[in-house]
Amino acid sequence: MVAPNPVISVQDVSKSFRSVVAVDGASFEIDSGEIFGLLGPNGAGKTTLIRLILDLIRPDAGSIRIQGQPVSETHKDRIGYLPEERGLYFRQKVMAVLEYLGSLKGVPIERVRRNARDWLQRLEIDDLRSRPVQELSKGNQQKVQFIATVVSDPDILILDEPFTGLDPINVHLLVRSIRELAAEGKTVVLSVHQMALVESLCRRVFMINRGRQVLYGDLEEIQSRYSEPSFLVRSGADYQACELIDRFAGHNAAATVHLKQGVEPARFLRWLVESGAEVESFQRARTPLDEIFIRVVRDSS
Amino acid sequence: MSKVWAIARREFLVTVTRKGYLFTLFGLPLIMIGGLLAASLLSRETFRDSQANQGPAGVVDRARVLDFSLQAATGPTVSTSPLPAPGAGVHSRLVAYDDLDQALADLGTGDLSAVFLLEAGYLQSGDIVVYAAEKGIFSQLNQTGRRQLSALLRASLASGRLEEDAVARILTPGRFKEMQVSKQGRIRPEGNLLKRVGRFLGPFIMFFLLTISIFMSSGYLLQGIAEEKQNRVIEILLSSVTPTQLLMGKMMGLGAAGLLQVVFYVVLLVLPASLILTLMTLSLGQILLSLMYVVLGYLLFAGLMAGTGLLGNTSQESQQLSVIWTMTSMIPMFLVASLMQQPHSWLARSFSFFPLTAPVTMLLRLSTDEVPLLDVLISTAVLVLGIVLAVKGASRLFRTASLMVGKRPRLGEIYRWLKEA
Repeated sequence: MVAPNPVISVQDVSKSFRSVVAVDGASFEIDSGEIFGLLGPNGAGKTTLIRLILDLIRPDAGSIRIQGQPVSETHKDRIGYLPEERGLYFRQKVMAVLEYLGSLKGVPIERVRRNARDWLQRLEIDDLRSRPVQELSKGNQQKVQFIATVVSDPDILILDEPFTGLDPINVHLLVRSIRELAAEGKTVVLSVHQMALVESLCRRVFMINRGRQVLYGDLEEIQSRYSEPSFLVRSGADYQACELIDRFAGHNAAATVHLKQGVEPARFLRWLVESGAEVESFQRARTPLDEIFIRVVRDSS
Repeated sequence: MSKVWAIARREFLVTVTRKGYLFTLFGLPLIMIGGLLAASLLSRETFRDSQANQGPAGVVDRARVLDFSLQAATGPTVSTSPLPAPGAGVHSRLVAYDDLDQALADLGTGDLSAVFLLEAGYLQSGDIVVYAAEKGIFSQLNQTGRRQLSALLRASLASGRLEEDAVARILTPGRFKEMQVSKQGRIRPEGNLLKRVGRFLGPFIMFFLLTISIFMSSGYLLQGIAEEKQNRVIEILLSSVTPTQLLMGKMMGLGAAGLLQVVFYVVLLVLPASLILTLMTLSLGQILLSLMYVVLGYLLFAGLMAGTGLLGNTSQESQQLSVIWTMTSMIPMFLVASLMQQPHSWLARSFSFFPLTAPVTMLLRLSTDEVPLLDVLISTAVLVLGIVLAVKGASRLFRTASLMVGKRPRLGEIYRWLKEA
């Protein structure tokens, strides 16, 4: 599956640490301006993949290209990285940490300051700018970590578990910010364990287990592939009276309905209308991503 | 370069505002000078006390050779009164007794520190019996009393038999006036004790402060890197800069902090002190070479400490590992007396040619004497080689060890990391 305009291209990349194969022949491409989901259980090889993309470690085999060029030190200025393990200078003040980490991307300090002030306001922690990081709550430290990633205005963002420690309000705030960044044309690589967030944010995903690629592609396609022919129906119809239905779960007002083999969805919809019941909604049921995740991990282990 | 500069700037500012740094900058020299002054005052007082605490000695002269009228010629320490007047202190050292039993009784009560008995045949035998109270193995059996009695005996025996001048020279054979000749042939009178001690202590204090500067600065580097590994900032830093840029920036920033310390010591403490107390006997060449060894020593230990900082999981663990380097480099300190007495011995030269011990040894030798050019060249060459290896090794470890957490690596693992990167 080739992205039309890949910003990151990973081809047959492998990396081992002694006898442990961390990544085994991974290949994927990430398009400009998309939010790309990098999924996998703990210890699957996600962090190794991210470190390879960042050129923190070198692959044993395969190639990684960024904006068409082999990955090198020069790309570091264009990539913002939020690692899974938080890393901040806890005794220093928030603004000083942001200025320092931003300036290491080669951005003029005035611009870093302007961006930092802007982001502190956007994430509603402007009043904390002069406080030492260690005095902040975990959630606010996480927001500072996120700002440190975007403060240099990079083209590519690699976010490894960015929602850790955030309450639902702040998760919402961060989701909105990530969407805005993608809308501005930034490419976002998102590695999270909350599959609901992946479903709401990502168009395409890559999933790795035990170093090997187990899923890759358009999220909707993947979900369709793993879904049975069933429908979510909200109506007052009496499903027990319908001979097109194999089985159904839930009560009549909201039920997941499985049709018999060979029955066309349109036939069932016609039956619904003809039954005279009021139909509020009728949609194809898609298997939730967590279910696919668990099934794929179990099958590939 | 701007990234290296940004790292150096931050490291410098963070370090010079650390409490530990400020304490070393201001507190350490004050403690050292205060300690030295206190030690010299204390030893002088102890010496005086030991003199003052020795009571007078009794003399029973059965040979009839002592002329107590000559006491003044032998110094103000002889008395003919049976017992010293209260508060007479050190001025009443020898007390004449006719009766040995009386003298021994006074010794028993502690009024006398010793009793000297000159038998009738003293002139032929030269024997003098000394009675002293039991005081344990460190008792000196009244050394001062012996000196006083010897002087009085010399005066009594020579008086009337020799000319007055000869008697005076027998009592005081010579008054020594010391002159000091510098390497440039300049002759000047040897100064007082303070100046003499100062001439030794000046260079030694400078050596000590310079050595501390090397290890403090490289120690901060170790601590900083270990902390960044522990709090995971290092991964973010390496996603923005190369390992070499990070190492260079840190070495520059902390080196500048160390240099500031050295300049502060030299300009604010050593220079004024040397002007006032003639503390400094070092030539400009010795001082400049010392500064060069401070820089080389710092670079070597900065490289080693940076690498070591990456190996531990916590800063404490890294500091424990770094003891290997500090202990090895401090070996010359344990042999400081021998190295200062013989700064060109084979031992001193061997230490100068081994990278880890070279900085401390060369600083020590330079604070004692001029060092032959050949020794300077060889030690500089091995130090430069050591620096190149240490910095290269540390840069490689940044790529591998900086991201590794878990148990402490074994030697084989470290070797593989160095090879892999």
